[in-house]
Amino acid sequence: MTDPDRLLTITPRQIPSGPYVLEVSGELDHHTAHSLTEAVDDAPFDDHGVVLDLSGLTYCDSTGITVLITAYRRSQATGSPLSLAGVSPDQMRVFQVVGLDQVFTFHPSTEEAISSLRK
Amino acid sequence: MTASPVQASLTRPADEEKRLAAVRRYQILDTPSDKTFDRIATLAARIFDAPMATVAIVDADRVWLKATHGLTGVGEFHRPQGLCTSAVLHAGPYVVTDAATDTHALAEHLAAGELGVRFCAAAPITTPDGQHLGTVNVLDTRPRKPTDTQLEALQDLAALVMDELELRLSATHTVTAERDRRAEAERLTRTLQRTLLPPALPTVPGLHAAAAYHTASPHEVGGDFYDLFPLDDGRWAFFLGDVCGKGADAAALTSLTRYTLRAAAIYDPDPCAALANLDTVLKGEYQGSAPRYCTAVFGVLQPLPDGCFAITLAGGGHPSALALRADGTVQPITTAGGQLVGMLPNPQFVQTTTRLSPGDSLLLYTDGLTEARTADGSMLDETGLVRYLASATVPVTDDPAAGLLQTVEALLSDLGEGVSDDTALLALSVPTRSKNRTQENR
Repeated sequence: MTDPDRLLTITPRQIPSGPYVLEVSGELDHHTAHSLTEAVDDAPFDDHGVVLDLSGLTYCDSTGITVLITAYRRSQATGSPLSLAGVSPDQMRVFQVVGLDQVFTFHPSTEEAISSLRK
Repeated sequence: MTASPVQASLTRPADEEKRLAAVRRYQILDTPSDKTFDRIATLAARIFDAPMATVAIVDADRVWLKATHGLTGVGEFHRPQGLCTSAVLHAGPYVVTDAATDTHALAEHLAAGELGVRFCAAAPITTPDGQHLGTVNVLDTRPRKPTDTQLEALQDLAALVMDELELRLSATHTVTAERDRRAEAERLTRTLQRTLLPPALPTVPGLHAAAAYHTASPHEVGGDFYDLFPLDDGRWAFFLGDVCGKGADAAALTSLTRYTLRAAAIYDPDPCAALANLDTVLKGEYQGSAPRYCTAVFGVLQPLPDGCFAITLAGGGHPSALALRADGTVQPITTAGGQLVGMLPNPQFVQTTTRLSPGDSLLLYTDGLTEARTADGSMLDETGLVRYLASATVPVTDDPAAGLLQTVEALLSDLGEGVSDDTALLALSVPTRSKNRTQENR
């Protein structure tokens, strides 16, 4: 049997004197979303900020969006900047429909998100 | 170890009822032949160096052979004739060493049978609660004196048959229980789904309304919802939306959302106010670790003296409604900028207005439709839906709203597996003027 959790891979990475990066790839849905919830809970949300690298995300359902909003609320509560990097055009259209394009800070790539947060 | 067959006549009806109930419980009678039991019969014959062996189950009025070795064309026989009938009453093995010299009626019957059987050894197949289902038998045309070792082996084979029957019964029970659980879950899903949607849309004078719910999975309750209902000032309110998640949690959220919107509309039918009200209720209900949201479009219909309807529409993170004009054009009635309801600190809801003239329709849908994947793997999206509707031939019927839904359902059916989420549809159509006049003249 395939472990549903393996459909989503999350790789955390601390950039030296920079943001905490969570590289999210695979399918983010109601079967897998809990792993990202845990990873977001473990993220420091300090002054250097957090980057969610979504360039490897192939699918995101409403439960996945819930986790992203949870990360946003955490960043609001802590004052730690949050960036989404590498969002695909399809995913961006979904964000536009639900009005999240006005909520998140987007960067084309993780590198650009990191350099923007270092400024 | 040899017992007399005389005891065969001592069966009490109540005991036999219990025994027959056990036979039924194992569901073995009249099942197809089976290698496992065939091997046991063959092994029994080999152990006794005998030409014939059977695995027999004793029914009310017959002995049914689950497996045979060295017997052809015998599947079952009338019960009183069978040696097994007597053997089933014995805890240990039952032996007739020479039917020709045994004066008992049963032995005579055996000897006179066309098989010419003179020797029989039988070990009962006994359930854990002591019921004898039948026997494993060895038969020979010569008189025999079996060894204790052979008889013990025969008992072991009968125990092996019982183990196998036990195993199959527990597998059957597991499958049945699993099937029952699934049927119950599906029934619950359907019941729940019904409570989330209005049983029928009300009749709005001068307007046709139709709604549909397309489920992506029969096992999971989706979270789409819609409703259409009168306000107390001659206007009508409608909404359609989608809650996040799946299953029972989503169903509870859907239910809360639907009733909150209905109550909010009575309190203040302003569309943005209704969504703001819902936002407050959801935040109160789901504060803490498991926040949840929904997207919705809420509208108010104002019938106008000229037969048109003025529509005020507010969107909270929901795809655009589409107006299908009488001239065939498709116009998105966008509420872009409106944000999802229930999770954001200060959500913004966007309000817009439009007018439905005779021949116009308004289509509301959930993102199960626009996020569906087309054959080339890309998302259908609003542009794909608009293009489809602009080129589709909506069937001309007495009910334009139903015709429009048929057209969308045809699209969903074409998308097939590409539709991975539930889709709710609500169509509102103002019939063409000629139709209206005909109705008014009646």
